[in-house]
Amino acid sequence: MPVRDEDTGKLHLERPEGFPLPQTCDLGGYRTVETLKALGQLVRCPVAEYPSPEGDELATEGKFPAHIVVGARACDVNAMTMVDKVQVEGEFEDAFYRIRREKMFVIAADCTECGDSCFCNLIGKKPWPEGGYDLAVSKVSGGFIIEAGSERGEQAVKDNETLFTDAHESHVKTREENRERVMGRLQENNRDFPEAAVMPEIIREALSDEIWDEIAARCVECGACTNICPTCYCFMLYDQEKDGERSQRISTWDSCQVTGYARMAGMLNPRARLADRVKHRYYHKYDYLVLSHGEIFCTGCGRCIDACSAGIDMRDVLKRIRAKAGK
Amino acid sequence: MGVKNPYYPIDTIVEDIITETPTIKTFVLKPAKPISFRAGQFMQLTLPGLGEAPFTPSSSPSVSEKMEITILRTGKVTDALHELSPGSKVGLRGPFGKGYPMDKLEGKEVLIVGGGVGLAPLRSLIYALLENTSKYKRISIKYGARMPEELCFRRQYSEWGRAAANVDFTNTIDVPAPGWDGRVGLVTTLLDDLDIDIDGSIAVSCGPEIMLKFVTLKLLEVGYKPPQVYLSMNRKMSCGMGKCGRCNVGHYYLCVDGPDMCYDKIKHVPNVFG
Repeated sequence: MPVRDEDTGKLHLERPEGFPLPQTCDLGGYRTVETLKALGQLVRCPVAEYPSPEGDELATEGKFPAHIVVGARACDVNAMTMVDKVQVEGEFEDAFYRIRREKMFVIAADCTECGDSCFCNLIGKKPWPEGGYDLAVSKVSGGFIIEAGSERGEQAVKDNETLFTDAHESHVKTREENRERVMGRLQENNRDFPEAAVMPEIIREALSDEIWDEIAARCVECGACTNICPTCYCFMLYDQEKDGERSQRISTWDSCQVTGYARMAGMLNPRARLADRVKHRYYHKYDYLVLSHGEIFCTGCGRCIDACSAGIDMRDVLKRIRAKAGK
Repeated sequence: MGVKNPYYPIDTIVEDIITETPTIKTFVLKPAKPISFRAGQFMQLTLPGLGEAPFTPSSSPSVSEKMEITILRTGKVTDALHELSPGSKVGLRGPFGKGYPMDKLEGKEVLIVGGGVGLAPLRSLIYALLENTSKYKRISIKYGARMPEELCFRRQYSEWGRAAANVDFTNTIDVPAPGWDGRVGLVTTLLDDLDIDIDGSIAVSCGPEIMLKFVTLKLLEVGYKPPQVYLSMNRKMSCGMGKCGRCNVGHYYLCVDGPDMCYDKIKHVPNVFG
């Protein structure tokens, strides 16, 4: 759950030791510095030990801890819903990811502020949860408005009905006012930037533009943007010896921004140039996944903007591409 | 229960190793359980503790108990594979990908253009086509390698050429070599005077990217249209399931949409041949 750092004022994703919760737990403000993605896709996850008498039967018993996520903001909930499409849907499923997601109970929360880098409004998203959660909470004076978003959520409310009472109209009104206020601030903060919905069409025309060289000239290839991005799901598999008898296969987060990411045997590399790697990240989110999975894989959380030591701002990149296209 | 681990490699024994050229070997593999595949689909071959690499089987897709994979020595995993001896244990995951567009080839004049070890996946296709030659108007196989000793599957050429009246096989080497009295010139020179009804033809090619590029340009020059050209594209592949995110050509993932791609779908991608 989000815990406020009293020095910086920022929220961090932490696992409280138990009850009572620390005073710094906070369901207000905006998204945490960290994403939730490591709960679905571990940073480093052993995925196979071989040879094994069980073969390709996956032993799940006791291997997958359940998580209750409290105070997830819309951008992170939306991101998980997007990544679900890649990792679970289709001919193959990543069973590791699917089981971890199924064992996650998500309590989402409205944003009551927005950060300087937040731009969910440009993506057509809202700073409050619209789906993908079990329960959603909105802070209002004297308590919270709770909404169930799944059968499990409804059951949780039913099982604890003594804790709840019907929401007053005034509470709902407060919630709507808060939502409007945060949305207004987002619109004000991002008034100079284009809405992302127009980008897939425009970006397709910029495949050979020199703008990517200009952006790449500043990029330091640290991979912070991909690591901090809640919708960057790409990973690498590698093998190592475990003991004399068996070997181990490990799945680990990877970044398309580093040189070796797409390099093949014989040192062939379709994205040897940094500009092609920088470009790839934008195309993956704003073109390829739109074509293959039906939506822009960005939730406007703005973490890549905060994390970039070169000061590259995704909103600004999109703005420049649009300006060049004259649209 | 009954959850499958998609990352687990099926235990596999290397039954035999055939040296094809100084740098290419064919591995005859027997997996612990049969693996059915379609021509052109690929496998992830595990060298325990070292890693996986993707290969399209070079054997007949009608055989599932055993599988042959023909491998050029070119990197970490393939170097180690070339050091194996029969009896070694490896692992297999797959099959992955779509495979060759078999339904589109029916009734067509099928032009197969291979270069170097690129004949390996095409051999699987050739087996599939030769099992039912009457389904195709024509099967024309063109193959090139740099030097005579680099020609793969030499023992089978005459057999292929004599398989049926509508099957032909021609090969070439890049530069003249002592004792070689066959054709000399890049594989594209075999496409100069095609005796083929191009409108009713589909071309399928596999080889190094630079060869694929010039084969594609030549095919377009002699009258093929992009929808008639299928290319085995090369990208780094890892998961095989469209999830790890590295083998894309444009918005396609070669591991699920390929590895053989219709040129019409990818022709807009800048530097598509690397």
